Amino acid sequence: MTLESYLALGLALFSLGLVAALSQRNLIAVLIGIELMMNAASLNFMAFNRYVVEDPAVGQVFVLIIIGLAAAEVAIFLSIILRLYRQRREIDSEHITTLKG
Amino acid sequence: MIEQAVLYLFVGLVLLGGLMAAFARQVLYAIIGLGVALLGLSGVFLFLGSPFVAAMQLLIYIGGITVAIVFAMMLSISMAVQPPQSHRGKSALAVVAGALFFAAVFVAMRGAEFPSPAGALPADAWAISRIGHLLLNAYNVVFETLSVVLLLAIVGAILIARRERKTA
Repeated sequence: MTLESYLALGLALFSLGLVAALSQRNLIAVLIGIELMMNAASLNFMAFNRYVVEDPAVGQVFVLIIIGLAAAEVAIFLSIILRLYRQRREIDSEHITTLKG
Repeated sequence: MIEQAVLYLFVGLVLLGGLMAAFARQVLYAIIGLGVALLGLSGVFLFLGSPFVAAMQLLIYIGGITVAIVFAMMLSISMAVQPPQSHRGKSALAVVAGALFFAAVFVAMRGAEFPSPAGALPADAWAISRIGHLLLNAYNVVFETLSVVLLLAIVGAILIARRERKTA
């Protein structure tokens, strides 16, 4: 596979994540869409890292940082979901229009 | 030959998992799709030359994040059992938006030219020890900042999700 095909794969993954984040109503499914988009970004970093840059360790460092930030984001997102569910018994993105406690 | 077949298998896993996550009605199927896509992606990372990042992808994403999402799904069970009726118009608009984004970026990508690396790589360019040296020297500030961010995320998650005591 060439650089272009890896980029196309990352683009397809990002578009699927966008569709998931826009169309799903369950907040957990929206989170899954966001995760897919972050992974598409890491795939782009790895592809450019393999084919373009001169020091291939730098891109790997970038991807590790993306993974760490994604873990932090998921922790916060899931705790917000649990709090919402405990207070309102639903996690439907159409009905939750405020984060005010 | 076999390597090519395995690579296309991983690419197929990524696309299949993405499709499952984007179009599943039940949230459990979406989570399984996410896991399949992440598994395929870690295989693709292997072919891009980095077994270390592939292992981290498996450990952190599949072993940590996917499992945490499953726990959250089980703790907020009502929508998992009864998925709401999806708005036809909203889903169709989302698909149109995704397709438009794909087409636009794809056209831009076809028109772009990417440079080739200038010199030859050093012998240890792909060694794991180089990642460690970079993380603790050139990218030390980023590394430490990331650890602080993770700590704050843990504390914040506990603060948000804890059960509040009834104040008398």
